[in-house]
Parts: sequence; C-alpha cells; structure tokens
Amino acid sequence: MNRKEAIQIISSTIGKEIIVSANGFISRDLFEINDNENNFYMIGSMGLASSIGLGIALKKPKKRVYVFDGDGNILMNLGSLVTVGFLKPGNLIHFILDNNSHESTGGQPTVSNVIQIEKIAKVSGYKIYKVKEKSELKKILTEIEKVSGPILIHIRIGKSHASSKRVTHNPIYIKNRFMRSIN
Amino acid sequence: MSEDFQIEIFNFFRKKNIDNFIGVPDSTLKQFISIGLEQKKILITTREEEALGIATGMTLSGSSSLVFMQNAGFANSISTITSLIQLYSIPIIFLIGWRGYLPNDAPEHTKIGKIQPELLKLIGLRSKIITKKNWERNCVWALKQIQQKKPCALVIRRLSNE
Repeated sequence: MNRKEAIQIISSTIGKEIIVSANGFISRDLFEINDNENNFYMIGSMGLASSIGLGIALKKPKKRVYVFDGDGNILMNLGSLVTVGFLKPGNLIHFILDNNSHESTGGQPTVSNVIQIEKIAKVSGYKIYKVKEKSELKKILTEIEKVSGPILIHIRIGKSHASSKRVTHNPIYIKNRFMRSIN
Repeated sequence: MSEDFQIEIFNFFRKKNIDNFIGVPDSTLKQFISIGLEQKKILITTREEEALGIATGMTLSGSSSLVFMQNAGFANSISTITSLIQLYSIPIIFLIGWRGYLPNDAPEHTKIGKIQPELLKLIGLRSKIITKKNWERNCVWALKQIQQKKPCALVIRRLSNE
C-alpha cells in the first residue's frame, strides 16, 4: 500500500469528518483525492498536525477528529504523544503513515525502521493498531468506530514517488471554510 | 509583590472570554501562571510550538486562546508563528516573558534578550510591553487585535536578576 492508497481508503471509509493533515505530500494527496471543507491542510509548521487535532478534539468532544500524520512529522513533535496521552481525548484518531522517510524532501531516511513510534504512543496512553495491508486497514477502520480514543493507527506504507499537486487554496480560505463547517 | 498585576491580567482575560491559557512556564510570568493553575485553567505543554498548535486547534473551534512563553521559547517558535499563526491569520494572544532585558541577566538570555523587540518587528507580530501601570489599556488593545482576527503579543520585562 502506498501513501495515496492509504489516504484514499481512509477518506472514503470515514466519510465527511474533521481531518487535520500534515504538511508535504500528505496534505497534497488529501487535497487531490477528497478536497472538502472539513479538511484543515497544514501546509507549514511541520510536526504540529497532532497538536492542532488535539486542540480541536478537546473543544469538539462530540465530533471525531482524524489526524493524518507522517513518521517524519510526528518525530518532530514527539512531545505531542505524551500530551495527548495525558489529556486522553476519546474522539482523537491519529494515523501515522510511516514510509520510514522524509518523502516530501527527497526520501531521506527517518529512524522509524528501528524505533517503533507506536510503542512510544502506547506507553503514552494511546490505543494502538498496526496495519500493512489494504484489507486490514478497511477492517480496522470499521472496528474502531465504537472504540474510544485516543487511538493511533500505524500504517506501514511503501515509498512512492507519485506526488499530488500542491494545495492551491489560500490558507485564509482553508481556515475560514473549515471554521464555518465545524462550528 | 510588584508583579501582582499579573493576577489582574489573568482575571481580566478570563472575564473577557479568553477560554484557554496554554504554554511553557517562565519565571517572569510566575504569578500569571500560578493564578491560572489555581483556577485549573492552565495547560502546560512540552514545547512552545506544541502550545501554538493546540491553541490553533482550539481557536479554529471557536474558543479563544492565550499562549504564554519565555522569549527563549518565542525564538524557538518563529517558524511556527510565520508558517501557521500568521499564514492562516490565527487570532491568538501571546504573553511573553522577556529575559535578557537587563544587560546583566543570565548569559544564556543576553543574546536573544537584546534583539527581542527587533525579532517581533522583523516577523511583523504586533506587540506591546505591559507594565503595572499600562496593562489594562494594552490588554484591551490585544482583545481588539484578536477580534480583528490578528495575532498579537504582550511582553513583560524581567526587571530583576534574582
């Protein structure tokens, strides 16, 4: 499974829910596959998708908040895992699309082949799911519908050079559209 | 005792519907943080940028936020401020404790402390220095900024080297 396939499966399964997507190829893929007003594309501030998602989850406890994160991204803000684990938002679902690389900058390696990010999340208080195959991903997305969070779904993806177009919306437009939709 | 106005600032923002007080502790802001902790209204994060991320999420959800930090943490956060807070125009109030204002402050603070006002100016984050005398006027100014969807900063100087 590559990154785009994983994003395709998740966004078509969960439907129109609140999504915060990490900068780089992840936001670009989501934009290309399923652009809508419930997506907050974080185009800068690498590492902070999970923190933005946490802030929304705490203030919108009746809605589920999905974070589309990468291994490079979460490694820049590991502290986020302990803050989420401490605050325990039941409505936060955190996907880590792990290709063991900084794909958006040319595929340089991260340490996630040796250090298991999901284990750090587990000791921080997340419920953990691990996925490799498309069929498993679909199954787990159904399974977690009634599970209370915080949930971390670690998806091992292959490297993929196919990149989507840039997010062409203006950031202020992204924000205003998102706020109108969720509030 | 001279920092008692920080308690008034906290109570003022609470009354004016600032819902969230998020950040990393700073000794210059001790009184502000203490009263917030007493009222169970403070969220302490691992880094200043994390605080900015959480505050952004809360602001996007319609809940107003203040983020507090030392100026060392402000320097850490510059890229997040320019590529998130300013890029999306997220209306957040920064409260910054200014170490290195006095030239004989601890050595780790002197370099950033010296350029603190220029740093704010360079990135274009509007700011006011607040004191015991002018805090109310400048806090009203800060509220006006966020009503106009602009982030802004209030700075409290460290006036003793104890």
